[in-house]
Amino acid sequence: MTEGGKMNLERLGGVARLRQEHEKVVKDCESRIQHWKKVSGDYEALSDRLQTLPDQLSYDIMVPFGPLAFMPGKLVHTNEVTVLLGDNWFAKCAAKQAQKLVDHRMKHVRKELDDLSKTMKMFAAKVGFASDLETLSASKEAYVDIREEVGNNESAVTKGKQRKAHKPNSKPKSDVVFDLKEEDEEESEDGGSRKGILTEEELWTRLDELEKLEELQDEQDRLCDYADMNGENSSSSSSEEEKETDVAPPVNGPSLKPSWRAAPPSGQPLSQRKEDEYDEEEGDCSPTIFFSHTVEPKKVRINTGKNTMLKFSERKEQKEHSKRKKKNGQSNGHAHHELHKITTPADIYRLFVDVKNGELVPRKSILKSRSRENSVCSDTSESSAADFEERRMVARSFSHDDTTHSDTSDGITEEDSPTAVPLLASSRFEAFSGTVIEKDPMPLAVPHLTIVPPALPTILERKQEEVVPDVAPPQQAPKRVSKFKAARLQQK
Amino acid sequence: MADAIQKKLKAEVEKYAQMQKDVSKNMSARQKLETQLTENNIVKEELDLLDSSNTIYKLIGPVLVKQDLDEAKATVAKRLEYINGEVQRYETLLKDMEKKSEQHRELLTVLQQELQKAQGLTPGKL
Repeated sequence: MTEGGKMNLERLGGVARLRQEHEKVVKDCESRIQHWKKVSGDYEALSDRLQTLPDQLSYDIMVPFGPLAFMPGKLVHTNEVTVLLGDNWFAKCAAKQAQKLVDHRMKHVRKELDDLSKTMKMFAAKVGFASDLETLSASKEAYVDIREEVGNNESAVTKGKQRKAHKPNSKPKSDVVFDLKEEDEEESEDGGSRKGILTEEELWTRLDELEKLEELQDEQDRLCDYADMNGENSSSSSSEEEKETDVAPPVNGPSLKPSWRAAPPSGQPLSQRKEDEYDEEEGDCSPTIFFSHTVEPKKVRINTGKNTMLKFSERKEQKEHSKRKKKNGQSNGHAHHELHKITTPADIYRLFVDVKNGELVPRKSILKSRSRENSVCSDTSESSAADFEERRMVARSFSHDDTTHSDTSDGITEEDSPTAVPLLASSRFEAFSGTVIEKDPMPLAVPHLTIVPPALPTILERKQEEVVPDVAPPQQAPKRVSKFKAARLQQK
Repeated sequence: MADAIQKKLKAEVEKYAQMQKDVSKNMSARQKLETQLTENNIVKEELDLLDSSNTIYKLIGPVLVKQDLDEAKATVAKRLEYINGEVQRYETLLKDMEKKSEQHRELLTVLQQELQKAQGLTPGKL
C-alpha cells in the first residue's frame, strides 16, 4: 500500500511536471500571440498612414531630435518610402506599393496568429488532460475501471444461439392425423377454413400433408372418372364392394384422404347421381351429357386412350389392394395406422402393395404398368380363384367412389357379364372421341331414379358443396345406402 | 570500487551535459535558420511584388548599396537555397546528436545501477 502510494506520488509528480510544461507552452503561445497582435496592429496603423500620406505634397511635422528634443521640419516626397524587406534588404517604392507590401505582411501575420492560436488550443487541452490525470491519480476512489470480462470458450466457439435442425416431419405423426381429422371436419363444414394460427413447423407439416392430399385427390379423381366410365362393370362385384365399403370409411375418410369427404365426394356423388339419372333416361333422352364432373381437366385425358385408362385402373388396383389388405388382415387399426404413415415418399411405396396369394408383397415400382404383370392384383381373399381373372378386370374398373356407391347393382350394367367387361370398356372408350360423356351405371341410380328431379343437370354447374346438401336428403331416403355413405351424409 | 565507478559516472555525466548543450545550441541555431528562412521567403515574395521602377538597396555595414532588382532576386534565391541547405544539415546533425545522447543516457543508467550496486555491497561488506 505504501509502495503504491509512493508510486502514486511519483506519478503524480510526473503528471504535475507534464502539466507545468504544457502550461508553459500555452503561456509562451499566449505571449507570442500578443506580440503578433501588436505587430498586426502596427501594420494596420502603417497601412492607414500609407493610405493618407500621399494625399498632400508635404507635411509640417515635428522631427524628433534625440530623446529629449523635437524640432520643426517638413515632410516631403510623401509618395516615396523606403521599405525594409528583411535581411537588410531595402526597397524604395511608392506609397501604394508599400501598402501592397504591408498587406502581404499582414497576411503572413494573420497566418502566424492562426497557427499560434491552434497550438495554444492544443496545449490548453493537454493541460486539461494533465490536470485530469492529476486529479485521477490523486483520488483513485472517485474513478472506477470499466472492465469487461472476455467470455469463456463456450460462448466464443458458438456464435450466437445453438442451431437446431428442424425436420419438417419431426413432429409426431399422431399430430398429423389429428390435424387431418380436424381439417376433414372443417372442410366438410365450410370447405376449407383452416386453423387460425399455425406454428411454422405445423405449417410445414400441414403443407406436406396438403400436397399429399392433392396427389391422392388427383388420383381419386382419375379413378372416379374411370369409374364413371366403367362403372357399369363394377356392378357385378357389388356384393364384394359392399363389404369393402364397410371397411373403407374409417380408412379413407379421416386418415388417408381426409379431403375425400369434403370436395370430391360432394361433387362426385352428385355427378354420379345425375349420371344415374341419365343412365336411366338414356333410352329416351339425349344420350350424351356434356359436363365435367370435377374441376380437374385431367379427367378428360382419360378418354383419350386406353393406356391412360389402364394407368388409372392401376391406381385403382392399388387402392383396392390397400383396402383389401386391411380386410385381409382384419385389423382395421393396423391398416389405419399404415395409411397414416404417408409422410414420406417411402410410405407411398408401402401403400402400394401387391397381394400375392393373400400375402402382401411390396412393389418394386408403382410406376410400372400393373396390367403387364401376371401377379395377382386384386383381392384373393374375397373371391374364389375361379373368377379371379374376371375380378382382376373388375377391380381395375373399380374406383373408390364406385366402391362406395355401387352397392346396388345397376340395371344397365347388370346385363354385362363380368367376362364382357373389358371389351365393353374398350368399346365405350373408342366410341367417345372428344367429349366426356359420363354415363355412370351408379348403383345409386336405381333407388334415386324416382327421387332425383330431372332438373339436376342444371344443379351440376353449381358449386358442388352447395348442391350436396340439397341432394343429400333424397339420398338418405332409400335404405340401400352403404354405411360409408351414411357416415358421409351424416357428416354433411 | 565504488569510487572508481563514481568517478567514471561523473565524467560521463559531464560528457552528457556537454552533449546536451551542443544539442540545444544546434537547436537554437536551427531555429535562427528557420526564422531567416521565413524572412527571406517574405523578402522574395515582396521582391516579386515590386517592378523595375523601384530601386533596391542592400544594407552592408553602415551604407545602403544600390542593387539591381533582378540581382537582388537572384541573391535572395541563393540565400534561400543556402539556408535550406543549412537547415537540412542541422537536421541531420541534430538527429545524430540525439542518437548519441540517447546512447549516452543508457550508459549513464547502467553506470548508475553499478554504482548503486557497489554502494549496496560496501555496507554489506563492512
